[in-house]
Amino acid sequence: MNRNGNGRSAVGGRGDVDVRRVQSLLRARAHLRPTEPWSLRSPEAEGGCGVTGFACTIPVGGKHIYEPSIQMRNRGNGKGGGIAACGLVPEELGVSRRMLDEDYILQVALLDPNARGEVEKAFIEPFFDIDHGGLIPTVDDFRDVPLLEVRPPDVARYFVRLKPSVLARFAEEKKLGAAGLSGREVEDEFVFQNSIALNNRFYASLGDKRAFVMSHARNLIILKIVGFAEAAVQYYRMPDMRAHVWIAHQRFPTKGRVWHPGGAHPFIGMNEALVHNGDFANYHSVCEYLAGRNIFPQFLTDTEVSVLLFDLWNRVYRYPVEYIIEALAPTTELDFDRLPSEKQRIYRQIQAAHIHASPDGPWFFIIARSLAETGEFQLMGITDTAMLRPQVFALQEGEVSIGLICSEKQAIDATLASMSSEDPRFTPVADLYWNARGGSYTDGGAFLLTVSPENGHYGMRVTNKFGAAVSTVSDQVRCDLSVPPVAPAQADEDTTAIERCVRDGDSEGFFSHLLERLPAMDFDSFRWFVDRFAGRTAAEAPALGIEALTQCMDRRYSTGEKKRSSLQTILRGGLERIFERQPLCDDERTGTHVRVTWETRDRLRGPRPGETTLLIDARGFSPEGENCDAVLAVKAFHLGWRNLIHYNTRGTRFHGVGLGPATAGLRIDCYDNPGDYLGSGIDGLEIFVHGNAQDQLCQISKQGKLVVYGDVGQTFLYGAKGGEVYVLGNAAGRPMINAVGSPRVVINGTALDFLAESFMAGDPLNGGGFAIVNGLTYDQYGKLHPLELPYPGGNLLSLASGGAIYIRDPHRTLVEEQLNGGVYRTLSSADWRLIRPYLEENERLFGIRIDRDLLTVDGILKSPQAVYRKVMPRGDAAVEEEMEGLGG
Amino acid sequence: MSTMPSGFQRAEPQTPGAFLSRPEYAEVSREVRPAPPRYRNEIGKYSVHRASHCASCGRCVETCRFGVYVRPDGYLHVMRPFDYRCIGFGCKDTGSYCIDACPNGALKLSVNPAAETMGDHRWTPDLLMSTWAMAETGRPPGKHLECEVGGSGGGFDRLRFRFPDSPPPGLRREDISTRLPLNRRGDSRPGITIDVPWYGGGMSFGSTNIRALLGKARVAKAFNGFTCTGEGGYPERFIPYKDHVITQVATGLFGVREETIQRAPIVEFKYAQGAKPGLGGHLLGDKNTPSVAAMRETVQGVSLFSPFPFHSVYSVEDHKKHLDWIAHVNPRALLSAKVSTPVDVDMVAVGIYYAGGHIVHLDGSYGGTGAAPNVAKKNIAMPIEYAIGRVHQFLADEGIRDQVTVIASGGVRTPSDVAKAIALGADGCVIGTAELVALGCIRCTACESGRGCARGIATTDDELLEMVRIDWATQRLVNLYTAWQRMLVDLLYRLGLDSVSALRGRTDLLTHLDYENEP
Repeated sequence: MNRNGNGRSAVGGRGDVDVRRVQSLLRARAHLRPTEPWSLRSPEAEGGCGVTGFACTIPVGGKHIYEPSIQMRNRGNGKGGGIAACGLVPEELGVSRRMLDEDYILQVALLDPNARGEVEKAFIEPFFDIDHGGLIPTVDDFRDVPLLEVRPPDVARYFVRLKPSVLARFAEEKKLGAAGLSGREVEDEFVFQNSIALNNRFYASLGDKRAFVMSHARNLIILKIVGFAEAAVQYYRMPDMRAHVWIAHQRFPTKGRVWHPGGAHPFIGMNEALVHNGDFANYHSVCEYLAGRNIFPQFLTDTEVSVLLFDLWNRVYRYPVEYIIEALAPTTELDFDRLPSEKQRIYRQIQAAHIHASPDGPWFFIIARSLAETGEFQLMGITDTAMLRPQVFALQEGEVSIGLICSEKQAIDATLASMSSEDPRFTPVADLYWNARGGSYTDGGAFLLTVSPENGHYGMRVTNKFGAAVSTVSDQVRCDLSVPPVAPAQADEDTTAIERCVRDGDSEGFFSHLLERLPAMDFDSFRWFVDRFAGRTAAEAPALGIEALTQCMDRRYSTGEKKRSSLQTILRGGLERIFERQPLCDDERTGTHVRVTWETRDRLRGPRPGETTLLIDARGFSPEGENCDAVLAVKAFHLGWRNLIHYNTRGTRFHGVGLGPATAGLRIDCYDNPGDYLGSGIDGLEIFVHGNAQDQLCQISKQGKLVVYGDVGQTFLYGAKGGEVYVLGNAAGRPMINAVGSPRVVINGTALDFLAESFMAGDPLNGGGFAIVNGLTYDQYGKLHPLELPYPGGNLLSLASGGAIYIRDPHRTLVEEQLNGGVYRTLSSADWRLIRPYLEENERLFGIRIDRDLLTVDGILKSPQAVYRKVMPRGDAAVEEEMEGLGG
Repeated sequence: MSTMPSGFQRAEPQTPGAFLSRPEYAEVSREVRPAPPRYRNEIGKYSVHRASHCASCGRCVETCRFGVYVRPDGYLHVMRPFDYRCIGFGCKDTGSYCIDACPNGALKLSVNPAAETMGDHRWTPDLLMSTWAMAETGRPPGKHLECEVGGSGGGFDRLRFRFPDSPPPGLRREDISTRLPLNRRGDSRPGITIDVPWYGGGMSFGSTNIRALLGKARVAKAFNGFTCTGEGGYPERFIPYKDHVITQVATGLFGVREETIQRAPIVEFKYAQGAKPGLGGHLLGDKNTPSVAAMRETVQGVSLFSPFPFHSVYSVEDHKKHLDWIAHVNPRALLSAKVSTPVDVDMVAVGIYYAGGHIVHLDGSYGGTGAAPNVAKKNIAMPIEYAIGRVHQFLADEGIRDQVTVIASGGVRTPSDVAKAIALGADGCVIGTAELVALGCIRCTACESGRGCARGIATTDDELLEMVRIDWATQRLVNLYTAWQRMLVDLLYRLGLDSVSALRGRTDLLTHLDYENEP
């Protein structure tokens, strides 16, 4: 039996519920039922937040949680932040390895510093053997920590074990031993109940709030404050304290005066800490469910009840993680139908038993777990069935491996940048980025990143809800960028190629030379080649250098045994070299390219003769508001600039927004991590995103063009009126929802769910809008493959009244159940004439060839009708049939 | 139409260009002029029946002061009585009572049974008719019409003001200010102040006759106030009034484009409507005519449902990002968020403030035209009078009450309702149905039934549109606003307050009939 249920399949494993155990544990908590009517308690209102977490095979310092936290400050309001660290280093805590592994780390927040003695006398000394204890260190004056306005509480930390006599008495009194619980399980339950009792006395009861338990887990601690999350790390002196797993939370409580961090995240279960983005509509229903099991929330937030549910299903019911995830985010509709019948049988029972406790509403959980019995640490991300909160997962594997989960991709990259600057074994770009599909039969909307001890080291495995592994390929190597490259002995051929490209201004030639040479190149030659080219073009032909290196970054191709993430980093480095060599806007020098930075923003001027392009270094700019780089771009446009390049973006928002109507002729390029709402409202301009983009892209866009060399996030093209959009990768949930007019979109990957719901874009054959979904993916060798299903979700073109979707589905995998008010139709020759030019542009942009990649199925070239299917609203289809009957 | 003065018959410019070439059209006077009803026989509270033995002696014309009898110069006969102007049996003691004065006993007065069939408990026949009277004359209606409260038995209808015995000496009506500042954040955005503490609510192009909408826009200009586009896009014909038109960003994002956001001094986010919280706007297919479909860029004849909520906003940080977006697109606009009144409306209000909003617009459940489903109107959301007080108090406790403007809407029918909402803690109000009533709406609540609004108001039908003329609509609304302002000033005078802002949060000046043991 797998005690901690680390994601292995439940079938044939920990399946049966031990009723006696459940009953005895629940009964053991009967005395915790409050005397006052519990149902009168209302939750604290709380909105969304920014959440982040990572798990690493080596323990890393707390300062690395700064970067993602700072990057997502705008998802909180500084009124609550917290972190949890799991998989700690004993020496840093002043304890032995055995103590760290065996003891509970009881951390009590002393809102009233004088409460310490009373707390110890009532809840610690009588029951526990204290191996180590004391107040945890803090900086001397909280005002020295930036943006910290409320003094965080003192926190007392005790390494404890339950006294054997207390344990025996508790097991006897509560009949837990008789119910088959092990000594450790009884001890867990005592610690859990003791914290509830402590909170009841010092926190939850009427009167002053004096103390509460922040955490009581093994090898896991939580610290939270009134302020931003990173301030918790700074105040409690943890920048250099190391741990394998870190999670952080920026809270956005909508209550103004917060004086203590009781409501901040993370919340503790038993050996797990949970942070949460979102809120529930059924808080009271969940509370009733818990009350029926003698569990009563004390902090009145939906995050607290979430972790209580997790602990209940984990420790009391002993469900495997898969079942816990199912209880939280039930599999429904078509996804349920696609489960194997054995899973359907189990899931149906889980849903019948626990649906009232299933959080209803938008939520995304990140959980850090200490699996103390196996010595493993785990990071878990779970999204709700409707996928209403943003979430990105990422993985980097190698000598050290790290998995990350965040609200925004930019925060992941910020973490990796922070780590790689300190430890060359990390690369600033992850090997894999992906989204979870909530409540799905494919991944279950959840991923578990488990760090396990292996021969004196730690290894990491990533699995989805069903236990299927996610991993990078093992035969590719990364490049150690901390070592300077060695110039290759034989480079004549490359030098000649560079000179030829520069002479002819031939960026395409550079790209084809690279494709040809790459398999034979080692990292050193590649670095030399890129450096040389960047150096050669920076002064003389920056446009060529930028175009050529960008193309090498944008396109997918075989990288052989070299990791693409390393190549990307090297290419981006080359670009940076070119960017940095361009004159600043207040410089006397001129060229075709001019650069503006945060420091020189006030000296921005219009283009002088011969100047074509403005480079905007986004470092230092705010994510929104008047100090945002997108505001500077609007200013630049009005000054006459028609080519803008944003680079070093770290989640700054609104690129391409606010430029007003009729902006044809303007081109914007975004590198690195442009933020949300990019291109919303464009009316003529073109935007190229060289990498993944985030959420809410191109809302209400009117016309113009967007090209994304990667994935796009949620509610892409919401309410769009027009425009041409090309996406190399996937779109997350709800793309094109409520779009009207004539947007025309090519998505080469797929979409998670609700593609083109309420689409109202007229008749595509008469100027209306459509989407083409190719359902393709690149593997890590840069090879293009069809996805198992071109569109796995439901609600395809649901409730639409206009527009159409053309899906590449040669094996006819799409079924009626995926529709709601739509119909499948065979492609007509008019349809093909309509979409072909868009696929040709797609070919030009991404190198995805119509004949070789799209119309060839299993090696055989097919007709478009055999490959694509058209999905259209039922009403339109009826009209069309009628017209056909009339010979129209 | 026969009674309409010729001034209302001018051909109206149809395009913004034509409007701008005739500046007199974009200029709107606040002057009160009679704006009689569009129908020869308006529905009145009383019927006057004239028997055939009338001798046309003209005594009735001399006797009646209320305009029931008209004998144009050079005519022998008295016109058929305009009995909708009759003040009824109470006239007996006024010396103007035609029934007694008629030497031939040819006149008979009765209660008009048709009047009693109009409206509902909230919009009682009296409230409808008193609004019509104000829209016609620009003056408070006669005492025969109850013009302050309806008959709902709850809400504003159970609240009354407690007036002091006498107003403070020295207070003069002409010194009383009804102005309302909308930007209290003290940020870099413009300080906008409106002349009366209410403005017109959003009605979409598609739901409502464009001429009615233009009338709303023109009165907004006349009173230095606002109207709102609703979610059906920004008709170009609004452009001459753009400084007084709020662009609404609603969940369907229909017709929302950068230029419509950049044009507006205020952008309103419609998160929810009090009349139908949990539901988006909807426009049934029949109203989705070619011009509506073109404005919204959709398919003609198809029902348009807006989602609930915004697909890109599922939490407060999304909401902040959403406001940041519009703030970025238009760096000079004030931001208003229209929300319904759930139990945690106080938290919602604080969330709007912290996200950068200037106006918290609370939309209660008493409002809504016929298009909102009854099941929603009657069963969801907190009554507005509870919500206002709760939000006001909460914002005050947070110390941010004076940094944000709270606007209440949803069933604000009279100047008395405006005053009550302000006394409960709002800064001002948004009105919707009242403006439509001024244009002759009879509250048959069949707005959703395709294009066939009996009064040509809630329609996009090309022929029915002709029933309303822009000048007439403008004048009716100018008259209504004038009467309301006068009544509000009178009320403030009687309360002894020198400004409408002094009334805010003065719950001590209110009483609830339940507490007075009155039925």
